[in-house]
Amino acid sequence: MTSVTSPMVGKILNIHVKVGDKVQEDEIVMVMEAMKMEIPIVAPAAGTIKEIKVAVGDTVESEAVVALMD
Amino acid sequence: MPKTRGDITKKLQTLRDKTLRGEEKAIAKQHAEGKLTARERIDKLLDPGAFVEEFMLAETPASDFGMAERKRPTDGVITGYGKIDGRTVYVFAQDFTVIAGTVGAAHAEKIAYCIETARKVGVPVIGLYDSAGARIQEGLDVTRAIGKIFYQNSITSGTVPQISAIMGPCIGVAAYSPALTDFIIMVKGTSQMFITGPSVIKEVTGEEVSMEELGGTKIHSEVSGVADVVGSNDEDCLLQIRKLLSYLPASGLQTPPRTSSVDDPDRMIADMEDLVPGDAKKPYDVRNVIRRLVDSEDFFELKPKWARNLVTGFARLNGRSVGFIANQPMFLAGSLDVDCSDKAARFIRFCDAFNIPIITLVDVPGYLPGTKQERLGIIRHGAKMLYAYAEASVPKITVYLRKGYGGAKQAMCTREMGADQLFVWPGVELAVMGAAGAVGVLYKKEIEQAANPQQTRLEKLDEFTEKFSGPFEAVAKQYAHSAIMPAETRVRLIQALEMLESKQEDRPRKKHGLMPV
Repeated sequence: MTSVTSPMVGKILNIHVKVGDKVQEDEIVMVMEAMKMEIPIVAPAAGTIKEIKVAVGDTVESEAVVALMD
Repeated sequence: MPKTRGDITKKLQTLRDKTLRGEEKAIAKQHAEGKLTARERIDKLLDPGAFVEEFMLAETPASDFGMAERKRPTDGVITGYGKIDGRTVYVFAQDFTVIAGTVGAAHAEKIAYCIETARKVGVPVIGLYDSAGARIQEGLDVTRAIGKIFYQNSITSGTVPQISAIMGPCIGVAAYSPALTDFIIMVKGTSQMFITGPSVIKEVTGEEVSMEELGGTKIHSEVSGVADVVGSNDEDCLLQIRKLLSYLPASGLQTPPRTSSVDDPDRMIADMEDLVPGDAKKPYDVRNVIRRLVDSEDFFELKPKWARNLVTGFARLNGRSVGFIANQPMFLAGSLDVDCSDKAARFIRFCDAFNIPIITLVDVPGYLPGTKQERLGIIRHGAKMLYAYAEASVPKITVYLRKGYGGAKQAMCTREMGADQLFVWPGVELAVMGAAGAVGVLYKKEIEQAANPQQTRLEKLDEFTEKFSGPFEAVAKQYAHSAIMPAETRVRLIQALEMLESKQEDRPRKKHGLMPV
């Protein structure tokens, strides 16, 4: 299992993937808002999304696991 | 029986040939690991036929612990001088096929000599590392000889460029020699650097870790920030060294070679504006801005996967070598943190030592907030950027692409910090803090007591944004030299660089400053 993690503290704005989706390395899986900017959260490697652990509007900590993939 | 001169010549010839040929089995093993031999590396690094070897027949004087049988000419490192693109360089390459490239006293003497001579002659020195480590059979002789390498690396720093390529293991205290040089290039899959190895770690902490996990390219290019560049294999690594050198002068007493540019200095960039979204919430890749600005879109990025919120690297503008530093809104909103301060400060100081003008592209929301950054010492690390910019006397040009909030502006080289030219793009936002935060502080009471607080807040927000948006305050207060159109940025940079070519700026005399570390 690979973890997709939040790069910094912020709020989830939208989620671009659903469970079962195949993603490429560095593909944007979610967008969060932090420091008045929309920050992409990207897949650390190519794989398939197994679980999404956050919902739109959630506040997440830095390095929080927002999705799992393999 | 006394030997004739002919006999002696023959013996010397045989010994030389044998040394150049190497040992077949060891060479095959090196190749099987996907590595070139030290001699093959030197041949590929230098211009064809340019290598002149020195101290080829040096040997260790040690004979204890089996060294009498194992000793070989070169003592496991090939050293000498040659040319890259017609320019002289000194080079040493540890040879894993000879005594596993272990560092003995003779070996270390040869390396220290290379660095010292490069400094005297005023040419770059390139080290190719591939060694099983210190040769323990030689005891204190090795410790002393390695100390000579560290000393030469240290006192040579800033006089001539020192480039290290890690092309195999570079472990234990030996890893400090490259760490004292200016750039470290590693080879993916075949190079490792660490101070204490897996067996010592297991013994002391019980932790089990492989050499690659401990000190491979992934760690040093993404986590520790030790490696500047990663080559995909030996050939690629050697090509990257040649490319890196092309931006650098032979020494700090010279300016970098100017190439004849094939890219029009008057080139306007009509789509430049589209690369930076007007909506300040939208991130973009600032490397695309740099590529569009520079000659032939050729940007040589350093530490591309570490401290990614700030981009550093070399490029050319109308044939002149320049160093770029840019906030990267794609990562951490482009905010400044501990690691990117280190990355920037080190790069600024290299550029200054070697007469390479610095171009700073600003789009910074501030320092990354949080207890983590404060505990890591953002005060101490952030100060490095301020210090390095102020210390640098090379031409410094700053361009604001979109926004600059708070004290982070100073860390990105304002006029007060020594920028010789400062330009802003038309939509720039410059304020002590973002509009929403500022209005909350400035009009707290007024908003709370208003009949319609939300309405009042929006009005104040508009008022604040109106005052600090756009370039007008910046140009009226001489914060910036000019507001320039995105499309003309390349032209303006080239004009400014040409004007600044003869810049001279003295600093107070002192032994040395105390850069925050």
